[in-house]
Amino acid sequence: MSIVAGETLIELTGITKVLKGQQEPRTILDGVDLTVRPGESVAIVGRSGSGKSTLLSVVGLFDRPDSGRYLLAGDDISRLPERRAAKLRSSHFGFVFQRFFLLKHLTAAQNVAMALVNGQGWLPRRERRKRAMAALDQVGIAHLAKSRPAKMSGGEQQRVAIARALVRNPRVLLADEPTGALDTETGTLVIDALLGATERGCGLILVTHDRDHAARMSRILDLVDGVLTERVPA
Amino acid sequence: MIRLSGRLRSSLIIGLQGIRARKLRTLLSMVSLFLGVLAVVVVQAGASIAERALLSDLELTNGVDGTRVMGVQPGPQTADVVTSTVRGRADAVASLDLSAIIGEPGVTPVNPNGSPMDENWGDSQVCFPDGRCEAQGGPKGEAIELRLTALTGDIRVFRPFHQESGRWLDFTTVPALAPRLVLNREAAKGFSQHHVPAEMRVSGAVNDITPQLIGVIDDGDSQPHAYTRVDELTNWLPTSGLADPSTGGQIQVMFQPSTPAEQVLTAKLRGLGVETSISTVDSHKERGKELTLMRLIFFSMAGLVLLIGVAGILNVGLATVGERVEEFALRRAVGTPRTLLAGIVLAETLLTGLLTAAAAIGASAAALKVVSTLLGDSQPLLHNVQFPWEAGVAGIIAGIVAGVLGGFIPALRAAGIPIATVMRA
Repeated sequence: MSIVAGETLIELTGITKVLKGQQEPRTILDGVDLTVRPGESVAIVGRSGSGKSTLLSVVGLFDRPDSGRYLLAGDDISRLPERRAAKLRSSHFGFVFQRFFLLKHLTAAQNVAMALVNGQGWLPRRERRKRAMAALDQVGIAHLAKSRPAKMSGGEQQRVAIARALVRNPRVLLADEPTGALDTETGTLVIDALLGATERGCGLILVTHDRDHAARMSRILDLVDGVLTERVPA
Repeated sequence: MIRLSGRLRSSLIIGLQGIRARKLRTLLSMVSLFLGVLAVVVVQAGASIAERALLSDLELTNGVDGTRVMGVQPGPQTADVVTSTVRGRADAVASLDLSAIIGEPGVTPVNPNGSPMDENWGDSQVCFPDGRCEAQGGPKGEAIELRLTALTGDIRVFRPFHQESGRWLDFTTVPALAPRLVLNREAAKGFSQHHVPAEMRVSGAVNDITPQLIGVIDDGDSQPHAYTRVDELTNWLPTSGLADPSTGGQIQVMFQPSTPAEQVLTAKLRGLGVETSISTVDSHKERGKELTLMRLIFFSMAGLVLLIGVAGILNVGLATVGERVEEFALRRAVGTPRTLLAGIVLAETLLTGLLTAAAAIGASAAALKVVSTLLGDSQPLLHNVQFPWEAGVAGIIAGIVAGVLGGFIPALRAAGIPIATVMRA
């Protein structure tokens, strides 16, 4: 699955997702259409519970849509078995979450290299370390390679998490409120790091509540009652 | 193949990281498992040592496994043919049994009928060539009745007697006029309890014989027994007298497997019309059922103890997975397949099981060494005893089984953790 410049990276058409809980079924995504091209950054905004994270779960292959079509670099992956989904998550996606999920017993470099020890191919230790250092360098914290999470600030920890997402050279970065737990200044540094990846051709989908961060993306999409609409630039 | 290897390596690396990150918890889960594996190792080691001791005793009396044993019916020419055929051979030894009394003449021995020294089997009888037997008269005196076995060669190749003191018979020297005797423990006991003159009477001998007592061995026989060279005894009585059925004489020949001497002797005896019976010693097979039953009983007990260890690993494993839900969800998010997540947990419990097994094997080997050093002199069973490799293998298998059983359910739990856990956190 290779990507040609200018080609659509992600194409969602009519995606629906219904939550079937104990109460009445609730439509979370209602015919969502979304396209993302290489190097493009897309902000998804909306109220809490509007389905932003569910949309990200579907895009990131954590969850399957109930209906609709999902094309990744032109291939239909709407109904993908878990084994192939895991492989695509490893080769195409990088994830950044609101909480950093760093393993406290590992150093920053080891936390980044952890994404390389996932059973999808094998890299020697030296190569893993080299790539981890390169990823840390991309987000500007190579000097913290040997530090453990407990010794780092929130912003530094989130940048380690971004380095972890970048270390496998993903096609798309999915960030779920990555600045939610950070102050404005640190949040800006984190958004800088994410946008740095788009300059190298990586697509970015950012779920955020922060208007300023959203404004820095190529496009802003509103998710209201499961329906995604593009915000017209002011 | 490369992918499998990558997954295996990944699970080992992450498993080791997990163990290093939770040293105390790993140690605690090892404690209960240690006792279980130790029980298996001790049972296996005990069973192996007991088996060897049992087989060792059987080797003393029956011969080592694989030995071909020929029983020959005594007859006028039989002893001559047997001794002349196998004399000087290393692959075949004939033993000719007769009854002998050492001590004062004209008295009833202290152990009539060659009974063990502390038992009384009734009065001795003297049997004549015509089959008639009469009770031996005379007052009890300082004399010991024993079985005397005349040998054509070194029988220890087939029956590995333990030398207790003195020396064994030397078959390379010129035969002595005074036959050299090696006593077994029971006979030596009799000689230490009684002041017995060195005067030996053997049925068929033209005169009383003055023997030389040169050593003591353990031959596994509870009756008094002495061994001598055939050629030293035949200075005093004809070879045919060595196996006189009227005096309880027996002829037995032991062969190494596939030696031509067996065929040659069989042919010669058949020519004389002498009946023979041949069998192969297989003590291991004969005792197999007893040993298997013994092991089964002990292993059942050890298995129960091991189960407690498994429960310990299971308990700790489940707690650990519960604690690492986010880590496993994150690993799935970065592309780790469910099977590898299960493999990580299994690798951790398996490594814990193997580490525990290594510790238990080391501890029991060290304990055995200490016990052997301290008690080896008083307990022959423990003298110079080596840690049996079977016990090591059993310990490793127990460690692996405990690791897999204890890790199985936590592994399934880990593999089932939804990735969305990290999204909702």
